[in-house]
Amino acid sequence: MPLLKIDDKEFQVESGSTVLETAESNGIEIPHYCYHPALEVVGSCRMCLVQVEGMGKLQVSCNTFVGDVPPDRKVDGKYDMVVHTQNDLVVQERKNILEFLLLNHPLDCPVCDQAGECYLQDYSFKFGNAHSRFEEDKRVRPNEYLGSQIVINQNRCILCSRCVRFTQEISGTSELFVEARGYNSKIAVLEDNPLDNLLAGNVADICPVGALLSTDYIHKNRIWNMEQKPSVCQDCSVGCNVDIFSQKNQIFRLTARENQDVNGYFMCDIGRYGFHRFEEIERVSQPMARNGKSFDVLDWEEAIQKTADLIEKSKDKTAGIVSPFHTNESNYLLGLMMKDTLGTLPPITREEITYPSGFRISADRSPNLRGMNDVCGHLEEDFSSIIKTRDIRGLYILDDGVDRELDDTWKDILAKMDFIIVQSYAMTELAKSAHIVLPGLAPFEREGTITNDKGHIQWLRPSLVTIGDSKPDWEILMLVINALDKDSEHFTDLGEVIKNMSDHFSSYSDVSLFKIGAQGMALNGKSA
Amino acid sequence: MSAFKPVLTEHIHQEDCHTLSFYKSVGGYTALEKVLKMIPAEVTQEVKDSNLRGRGGAGFPAGVKWGFIPKDTDKPKYLINNADESEPGTFKDRLLMNKAPHQMLEGMIIAAYAIGCHTSFIYIRGEFYKEFKLLEKAVAEAYKDNILGQSILGSTYNLDVVIHRGAGAYICGEETGLIESLEGKRGWPRIKPPFPAIEGYLQSPTIVNNVETLSCVPHIINRGASWFKSIGPEKGPGPRLFCLSGRVNNPGIFEEAMGISLKDLIFDRAGGIPDGKKLKAVFPGGSSSAILTAEEALDVNMDFDELVEKKTMLGSAGVIVMDETVDMVQACLNIARFYAHESCGQCTPCREGTAWLVKMLTRLVNGGGTPNDIDMIFEITDNIGGLIDFSMGSFGKTICPFGEAVAWPVRSFVEKFKDEFLAYLPREKVVA
Repeated sequence: MPLLKIDDKEFQVESGSTVLETAESNGIEIPHYCYHPALEVVGSCRMCLVQVEGMGKLQVSCNTFVGDVPPDRKVDGKYDMVVHTQNDLVVQERKNILEFLLLNHPLDCPVCDQAGECYLQDYSFKFGNAHSRFEEDKRVRPNEYLGSQIVINQNRCILCSRCVRFTQEISGTSELFVEARGYNSKIAVLEDNPLDNLLAGNVADICPVGALLSTDYIHKNRIWNMEQKPSVCQDCSVGCNVDIFSQKNQIFRLTARENQDVNGYFMCDIGRYGFHRFEEIERVSQPMARNGKSFDVLDWEEAIQKTADLIEKSKDKTAGIVSPFHTNESNYLLGLMMKDTLGTLPPITREEITYPSGFRISADRSPNLRGMNDVCGHLEEDFSSIIKTRDIRGLYILDDGVDRELDDTWKDILAKMDFIIVQSYAMTELAKSAHIVLPGLAPFEREGTITNDKGHIQWLRPSLVTIGDSKPDWEILMLVINALDKDSEHFTDLGEVIKNMSDHFSSYSDVSLFKIGAQGMALNGKSA
Repeated sequence: MSAFKPVLTEHIHQEDCHTLSFYKSVGGYTALEKVLKMIPAEVTQEVKDSNLRGRGGAGFPAGVKWGFIPKDTDKPKYLINNADESEPGTFKDRLLMNKAPHQMLEGMIIAAYAIGCHTSFIYIRGEFYKEFKLLEKAVAEAYKDNILGQSILGSTYNLDVVIHRGAGAYICGEETGLIESLEGKRGWPRIKPPFPAIEGYLQSPTIVNNVETLSCVPHIINRGASWFKSIGPEKGPGPRLFCLSGRVNNPGIFEEAMGISLKDLIFDRAGGIPDGKKLKAVFPGGSSSAILTAEEALDVNMDFDELVEKKTMLGSAGVIVMDETVDMVQACLNIARFYAHESCGQCTPCREGTAWLVKMLTRLVNGGGTPNDIDMIFEITDNIGGLIDFSMGSFGKTICPFGEAVAWPVRSFVEKFKDEFLAYLPREKVVA
């Protein structure tokens, strides 16, 4: 393996790795714009220039490959390459490049959404000049819509071409291109082929400056006002890793979070803008019991007791309905409670989309279908016939808040029931037909594990604060289980549920929150 | 040294010199016949031995370039004839295509044979429509005569030639920009490595040679490498087409031995400067080369290495002559404007820097200059193209040599004619 020296540090690197990658992964900062690990290297921004000993001109570190050299050509008798990232030449060159980039840049940071997370701002501050030597007029161009949800501020654009390469290489849709030449170059689309693919939102994420903006977020907030929390998208069974930005318990935007085992660097717009769904939802925040056509508000103790009483009365004639939208733990506990007399709500499926880069939007638009099947020992496939044969009179539904149109089979089932208990965060059709409604948590408030369709288990962490009297779904189920059987085990935290669950299902035997961490883990050590 | 006799342009004044029958009547395609009996490595070696250096601008040894083609690859190999002649002050390839298209084709076939290529391209400048039609005819003639196509001249060697018209961008004359353009993409030069000889057209090994370079090849095969090397300086020998333009009495193309003095070119071949004016400055190798002052120009030979010593280059051998009536500031702005217009816009320094230069020079010409501007021009050009230091090999700060191509000439104007730039400054500012 070649021995690389960057500044004063030595690295044994894989032959063929680049200087930039090695520096990045070892905490040495080399500023760059056009380089993105998911995209083809073009080396055009010239920001990552470094000095390589023995080479006449500065080299772009994104395209400088380290390889073994013969003994007589080793630097200082042992290094295959010696790189300087901090010497006067490199420091001066960074100033020069930043000066060029800022010539026509408007410096409108106070009104720019990127401020605070802008690489032009950060690098200028760290590496640039304090003042401009440009005395001419700046180039001024109007903003343009590239697609229905992406606007470009042409003045801020530094033409790194990341967005163009994204549409060529990742989405494969090639809507974006560079129009005109030289100083007049700009990012453009054709009128009849706007940037409206389902991955379009990513171009705003990968834009290193404030040029590409999502209309959904433009002028909505400042980055330093918001909390950033790692989470997992719950809009399909791929489970893209995301960061959720919120202020005062309100979500402002989602961005993709890198996870090479799941989504790479990107996410789709279904998930990106999906959070708006929850803004208009009618929340359930207190336990309620039916009183004629309306509901009475209860406190938790009453609600749990009433629930337990109802189930107790017809114990063998009650079934549970789990949901692929809920966590493994909630589904698992409902399975425990119902001794596996379980059915599931109809799945939500749409078209499966796979992009040339391999990025995928699953046909199954629930986050945890696989996990649900894994941790519920036995799910009745033909639930309606079980209802008949076993004379089921009561249902405990773990409702997922999806506003489904229920078909006649389901309507018949519901009509037949003596009682329906719905655990839900939203006032869905199901909740409206319930006898008792127990308020659970909304998707971004939940904590638990979910398993994607490839068998990658991920930790869903709460991004928002719980509303009203709502309780975590697993906790509600725990309370009901304990009320039904005073001798049953009581799990005080999620970890205990996971431990118990992993004891029951061998494929989950080594699962723990600690092992899952921020990047998730493959079941049985491998993703299927 | 005996008097030089034109090689490439020997027959251009004869009627129908562009036809196949004429070319054959003066010994055309005999080199090809000879080559088809050689093994490809011998052909490459012969060209290597001749020290033939590229006529397009960079002056890279052609045989060495051919030698970079990997021997152990399954990929197809490509030869591209760079006929995208677009360097200001250069018009030699156009003449060769007009008058001796078969000489060029023969060179192409030999080069293609040497590197094991079976599909070859002529990337011709879009504006050369007449030449394009002429080449189409020449290629058709060659196919008809079994000089192209399957089993060329009864051998086992096959070669197809495709003519592709460019769309008029200067940057598509840069070999990787040309390859991108040929692939149907935007003419943005590629970052190296990989070099075209390893991954060029369609990610396959590709050689790009200039029209004049390829036209030399049949003569090297026929008369031998040592004959070629005997013409002019040994390290950069051969016949060369010099294009004389600007303030001369007799502008045009002159085929001379490499190493002829610039003085002879201007005052003898091109007939000196009109109206008895004095020589002021010269571009020795197209507008991308740094200019020489009259004093420097009268004391230099047109040789690759000697011009490098003078901190300029032979480039495409497009000699542009400026006399004492030329306003050097306006000329500098003109050059800067050309490069700002032609910059592809990919790399930051070139895209932004060229436009900055134009804005600044325009302000200077319009009387808004400050003494600081002069220093700024040096800084901007250095930041685009780097300082001229050939000893270090390559030198620029951009992906392709375009950065140097704008920086060097512009810098040389200010460096060598600083007084004229200062004269443009408003009077009170000079005093202050």
